[in-house]
Amino acid sequence: MSVFLSSLGFGLISAAVLAIATVGFTMQFAVTNVLNLAYGSVMINSAFVTYYLNYHAHLNAWVAMIGGVFTGAVASYLLNRFVFTPFQRRNLPPITIVIVALGVDLVGTFGLQAIIGGSYFSYKQSLGREVHFWGMYFSTLQLIIIGICIVVLGLIHWLLKYTRLGKAMRATSANATLARNSGVRTQRVISSTWLISGALCGLAGTVFAMNTGVFDATSAQLYIVLMLAAMFLGGPGSAYGAMIGAVTIGVATELSAGYFNPQYKEVIAFIVLLGMLTFRPFGLFGSEKTI
Amino acid sequence: MNAILFYVATVIVYGAVDSMACLALNVQFGFAGLSNFGFIIFQAGGAYVAAILSMGPWQKSNGGFQQYVLGWHLVWPLPWIGAAIFGGLLALPFVFLVGKRLRGDFAAVGLLVSAVLLNQLVNNFVPLFNGAAGISIVPAPFSGKWNPQGLGYQFAYGGVAVVLAVLVYFLLRRVTESPYGRSLRAMRDNDVVADALGKNVRVQRTSMLILGGMIAGLSGAVLVGFINLWAPGAWGYAETIVLFAAIIVGGAGNHKGAVLGALLVPLGFEEVTRFIPPLSNPALVPALEWVAIGLLIIGFLWFRPDGILPERRRILSRSATSAVPVLSSGESDSLINLGNLDQMDFRQLLRLEGDANDHGIILASDRLTRAFHGVTVVSEVSIEIQRGRITGLIGPNGAGKSTTLAMLAGTLAPTSGKVLYEGRDITSMPSNERAKAGMIRTFQLASEFKKLTVLENLVSAIPRQSGDSFPGALRGRRYWGREDVENIERASEMLEGFGLSQYADSYAGGLSGGQRRLVEIMRALLAQPTILLLDEPMAGVHPNLAHKIGDQLMRLAASGMTIVMVEHELAIMDAFCDPVIVLAEGRVLAQGTMAELRAKKEVVEAYLVG
Repeated sequence: MSVFLSSLGFGLISAAVLAIATVGFTMQFAVTNVLNLAYGSVMINSAFVTYYLNYHAHLNAWVAMIGGVFTGAVASYLLNRFVFTPFQRRNLPPITIVIVALGVDLVGTFGLQAIIGGSYFSYKQSLGREVHFWGMYFSTLQLIIIGICIVVLGLIHWLLKYTRLGKAMRATSANATLARNSGVRTQRVISSTWLISGALCGLAGTVFAMNTGVFDATSAQLYIVLMLAAMFLGGPGSAYGAMIGAVTIGVATELSAGYFNPQYKEVIAFIVLLGMLTFRPFGLFGSEKTI
Repeated sequence: MNAILFYVATVIVYGAVDSMACLALNVQFGFAGLSNFGFIIFQAGGAYVAAILSMGPWQKSNGGFQQYVLGWHLVWPLPWIGAAIFGGLLALPFVFLVGKRLRGDFAAVGLLVSAVLLNQLVNNFVPLFNGAAGISIVPAPFSGKWNPQGLGYQFAYGGVAVVLAVLVYFLLRRVTESPYGRSLRAMRDNDVVADALGKNVRVQRTSMLILGGMIAGLSGAVLVGFINLWAPGAWGYAETIVLFAAIIVGGAGNHKGAVLGALLVPLGFEEVTRFIPPLSNPALVPALEWVAIGLLIIGFLWFRPDGILPERRRILSRSATSAVPVLSSGESDSLINLGNLDQMDFRQLLRLEGDANDHGIILASDRLTRAFHGVTVVSEVSIEIQRGRITGLIGPNGAGKSTTLAMLAGTLAPTSGKVLYEGRDITSMPSNERAKAGMIRTFQLASEFKKLTVLENLVSAIPRQSGDSFPGALRGRRYWGREDVENIERASEMLEGFGLSQYADSYAGGLSGGQRRLVEIMRALLAQPTILLLDEPMAGVHPNLAHKIGDQLMRLAASGMTIVMVEHELAIMDAFCDPVIVLAEGRVLAQGTMAELRAKKEVVEAYLVG
C-alpha cells in the first residue's frame, strides 16, 4: 500500500508537469497539423532563461519563471511564423515538416549546449517544507507545481469553452478552410495559438527543471516521448485528451517505477504509444482530430 | 607515413559502412516514402548479432567480465550473414506501424520513439547486452590467422567493405529501376491511389523495411568487425537523423546522391572535426556539429529540397513511331490538342473480351450506410449496377455520391451495409484486392503520381506485370524487359489517342488540371477494369474532348466494360448514361433514364431546391 501511495504521489507531480507540456504540444498540432518535435528544445531554452534571471539577475525563481514563459511564447511564435508556416505554404507532406522540426530541435538543444557547456545547473530555490498526507510525500515546491497545473488547465478550459478565441481555435482545428470561409481569421488564430501554447511550453520547461532539480541542455530531449504517449492516448489535437493522457502516463510511469524498476519506467509510455498508434491512432475517445 | 595509411584504411571502412546505410535508408525514404526514423535500430541490432556470433562463449572468454548471449564463435562470413538476417527479422515488429492506415508522420514518430526506448532498455539491461558498457574485444574476422592490426589486413578489410557497398548499390538499383521500383515510387507519391490501383501497399512497405533492415544489419556487422566494440551509446536515435541529413543533402531518390551524402555528412563531419584542436570547452565542437546538422537539414529542405544530385527523371524508351508527337494541324481549338481519339479503338489495347449482351447485375450495394462524426452522409443505399452499361450517379452537393463510390471501391469502409460483387460479399475486401479483381476507381481530387512521368503513371497501372514484385525485380531486366517494352508501347498508344504524346516524359505533377484528369482516365483504363468507377471524370476537361471520351466509354461499355460515373454535368448524363441513379441527402431518390427522371417532380425539386 505504501509503495502504491508514494508512487502515486510522484506520479501526480510528473503528471502535472506533463499535462502542462502536452496541452501546449497538442494545441500546436490541432491548429497547424505540425508535430512539433522541437518542443523539448524550446522547453529547455525557456528553463535556462529562467535560470539566468534567477541566478544572475538574482530574481526569485517564481518571478524569473515569467521570463521563461515569455521566452517560450516568443520562441514558439517565431518558430511557427518563420519556419513552419513558410514550409507549409509549399504544400509539403507532413513528414517533411517533422524532419524540419527535428532539425530545429538539434539547433535549439545543441546551440544552447554550445553556449552554456555540458555541465549541470540548478535554480536557487528551496524545496520548502515537506508535507505528507495519505501516505504521499510532497515538497512545498511540488505542491505549488501541482497548483499551477490545475490553475493553468482551468484557464485553458475557460479559453476553449467560453471565449471567442477558443471557439475560433476549435473551428480552425476542425477544418481550417471552412473556418476561414466562415470569417474566422485563421492566421491570427494560429498565431495566438502558438503564443499561448508557447507560453505553456515555457512554463512546462521551467517547472520541469524545478522538479528535476538539476538539469543540462539535453535534459528535455527525450521528454517528447512521454508527451507523444500522453497525446496519442488522449487523441492527437485534443486538449482535454492531453490532460487525461498526461495524468494517466504520469501516474502509470511512476507506479511502474515503484513496483518494478525505475530504470524502465518510460517503457510503459512506450508500450502505450505503440499500442495507440497501432490500434487507435486517434486516441481513446476521438475518432478524428478535434481540439 | 604509416599512421596516415592506417587512417586512410579507417576512412575507407567508415565510408563504405555509411554508404551502405545511406543507400538502404534512401530506398526506404527516397523511393518507397517510408520515413524510417528507427533505422539505427537495425544497424545496431545487426552489429550486436555479428559481435556475439563471432565471440566465444561468454563464461570462458575474458574471464566473464562482460555478459552477452549466444557466443557461438562462428567463422566469417557467418556472423555477417547472421547480422543481415537479424536486421531483416527486426523489421517484423514494426510492420504494423507502416500499414496503410497510419499517417506517415505518425508511423515515423512511432519508429523514432522505438529507437529512443530500445536504446534506453539496452543501456540498462545487463544480461543480454552488458548494459551501457557494451561489448568489447569483439574478434575481427580471421584474427587467428592474420594480424588485424597489420596495414595489409586493414586495407583488405576496407576492400571487402567497399566491394559489399558496391554490391548493395547494384542490388538496390536493380530493384528500383524495375516495374516494382515504379510501384514503390507511385506509393511514395500517393499511397491511397497506388492502393486503389491494386498495389499492396502494406506488402511493399514491409518488403522495403526488411530489405533496408538487412542491409543496415550488414553495415553494422562490417563496422563492429573493424572497431571490435559495441556500445549502445554509439547508436542513439540522433544517428538516424544524421543519415536523414545525408540523404537530404545528397539527394533523396538517387542512389549516387545517397553515397555522396554518406561521404559528405556522417563521414565528413566525423573526420573534419578530428582535426580541430582541443578547446577549453570539450563539449563545444560536438555541440556545434549537431547544430550544423540541424541547419543543414533545414537549409537544404528550404533552398535545395531535391539535394545535390536530384532524383533522375526516367525517360522510358519506346519505338520511334510512337515517340513522334502527333500534332493535328488545322484544329479549330488550338488550346487543346484532341488527338485522334475518334479513330482509336481501345478494345484491342485493353484486351476486352466480354459478352456485350449480358446485362446481369455485376455490382450491388445492400443498405450501405456511412456516418462521419455521427452525421449520416449515406443512408441505406441499395443500388444495382448492370454489366456493360454506363450507370450515372447524380445528385446535389453533399448527396453522398462520392462517398458511395468510395465505399463501392473499398477506399472507405462503410459504417454498415454490404457490397456485393458478382454475388459475392466483398465488404471487407481491401481496395487493392478489389482493384486486382477488376474494380478500378478514379478520384475527384488530383491523384497523379507527381514525380513519375506521364508515361510512367500510365504504365504503372497495368496489371500483372512480371517485374512488379520484389522477386520479379530481382530477376532483372532480362526477365521483365521485353514485357515492359510492350506495356510502354500500349501506354504510348493510348497517350497518342488522347493527344498528349508530347508530355510523355514530363512529370505528371507539372500538368494542367484538365490534363491530369486525362492522365487519370487513361491510367484507370490501362488497369483493365471490369468495372470502372469514375468520380467526376470530366471536371476541368474541355467539352469537346469530354464528348469524345464519352463516346469511347460507350464503345467500351458496348464490349462489356461496366462503368459507374459520378457527374455534375447533366449534358454528359443525357448523352451517355443509362440508367441514372439520383441521390439526395444520402438516400436513393429515383432511378431510370434521364428522360424518365426529368418527368419526376421530386427529382427536379431536389436538384433545383437542394
